[in-house]
Amino acid sequence: MKRIYRLTTYGYLLPGLFFMGIFTFIPVFMSAYLSLFKWNINNPEPSFTWFSNYIEVFKAPLFWLVLRNNLVYAFTTIPLSMSLALFLAILINQKMGWVRSLYRGSLFYPTMIPMVAAAMLWVWIFNPGLGIFNYYLGFLGFPKLEWLYDMRYALIAIIIMSIWKNFGYYMLIFLAGLQGIPNHYYEAAAIEGATGWKQFRYITFPMLAPATLFVFIVAIISSFQVFDQVFVMTQGGPGDRTNVLVFYIYQHAFRFWDLGMGSTLTTLFILGLLVAIWLVFRVIGRRVYYEV
Amino acid sequence: MKFNRHLRNKSGLHLILMVVSLITVAPYFWILSTSLKFRTEVFTQTPKWIPWPINIQNYLEMFEMAPFHLYLLNTIIVVTGILGVQLVTITLAAYVFARKNFWGKEFFFFLFLTQMMIPIHATFLPNFLTLKHFDLLNTRVAMMLPFFASGYGTFLLRQAFRQIPKALEDAAVIDGCGGLRFLWHVLIPLAKPTLIAFSIISIVSHWNDYLWPLIVTDTPEVRTLTIGLGMFVQQESGADWTLLMAATAFVTAPMLIFFLVFQKKFVESFMLSGVKG
Repeated sequence: MKRIYRLTTYGYLLPGLFFMGIFTFIPVFMSAYLSLFKWNINNPEPSFTWFSNYIEVFKAPLFWLVLRNNLVYAFTTIPLSMSLALFLAILINQKMGWVRSLYRGSLFYPTMIPMVAAAMLWVWIFNPGLGIFNYYLGFLGFPKLEWLYDMRYALIAIIIMSIWKNFGYYMLIFLAGLQGIPNHYYEAAAIEGATGWKQFRYITFPMLAPATLFVFIVAIISSFQVFDQVFVMTQGGPGDRTNVLVFYIYQHAFRFWDLGMGSTLTTLFILGLLVAIWLVFRVIGRRVYYEV
Repeated sequence: MKFNRHLRNKSGLHLILMVVSLITVAPYFWILSTSLKFRTEVFTQTPKWIPWPINIQNYLEMFEMAPFHLYLLNTIIVVTGILGVQLVTITLAAYVFARKNFWGKEFFFFLFLTQMMIPIHATFLPNFLTLKHFDLLNTRVAMMLPFFASGYGTFLLRQAFRQIPKALEDAAVIDGCGGLRFLWHVLIPLAKPTLIAFSIISIVSHWNDYLWPLIVTDTPEVRTLTIGLGMFVQQESGADWTLLMAATAFVTAPMLIFFLVFQKKFVESFMLSGVKG
């Protein structure tokens, strides 16, 4: 009787585990295994070559450029969109009546738009001759730039549009965190004479730590998954200056049909991302639980 | 007049928020404005925000050039298909994680959490090979399969189930309402807000999926809106902006209309998405 009961318990887990196993976990091991094979157009039959793919990856100057591009993207979009989101969340959290939902809606709606559509729109906005970006920057004294067609500015253009697309969601998470802070903390602080910056430093910031950690993790994962906007806006160009990790993997796997190399890059991608997340939890995660 | 006084007291705050909101909303107005212009109206030295005369021809023309109605239908099928199966898998798993003790529970829960950290982008190559092996490429099911299990959804729902008092379950079991019936008649109705929140997030994110459908489809019959839009751009090679913006507006409209109508529900759902147990 008891055994039947146990079996049904595992039965409940089965559907989820089945799909997860086939489409998430087995693929991870499959990539790791395939990364040890030479398997491309010239070698249609996979042949086992130990770690030669990895050596080839690390020897390719383009790989390092791609990694650099992706790190630049991460180290600019993450702090900029997070601080913008936090700042606006604090403003919107003030007492203000019905206009709040108006502001909130106008800041959050880009989350609802497919990245591909957003990218299309920004190609039009960044258009060198007719685009509104150059037009309005002209008022601030900027020269007309070629943006997506210029090796120096293409990545910056992608960073600008990505911040526009993503900060609204982060703002909402911060807003949820802010609303969870009991008001009497601030009242008590006000009685003790703590105002403005001090309230932020000693109440808001530590109380927001779980929300900040969540946003940070989401932002890291999404900044290393960036693909759609690159695909639509630049195809990695000009001169590979906007080529990022997932786009690089896509090129190897589905343009050059180099499945061995694609698997090697995929494996490095997963390892890198897991190490990054693990580091964040080690360094920041602990403090979060102590402070709350 | 209370509002006016309030506005004066906090004019700095409103000034900042208004400027930032305007900058965020302007790009979308620019889509609509461009999509309603005549081709020649685009080539003006100063941006023309209000299209006049209005031209709705672009919206009719885009349907002649590509089967957007078919893309819309495919997107709806794929998105609801994913959500339907997800709701079953996450509810069953969340139920045992929240309510039962069994050997290996911690390990299995860890597996479900790990899935959140491994992005689909890192699995697309092996998944492509798997689907190719089973001859499933270029089908609607292929676009859904990798998303049927959701560690994230399981986690959210487990938190909701845990809040429901244990005494309720004891009472239900005594009345002969255990297992699946308890789940169906008691837990699911009580966890409805979480289920709705998860559904909204799932619909929005899969409506926007791009890379995976791009890899597994190669004919218009099964393509979704996002892929259709991407193809449309290549077909048009960026020449006709009025037409491209009409297509962009059409692809973005369904989710934005839902968002405008149910703004409160959407905002609550996305806020809930970040709450950690």
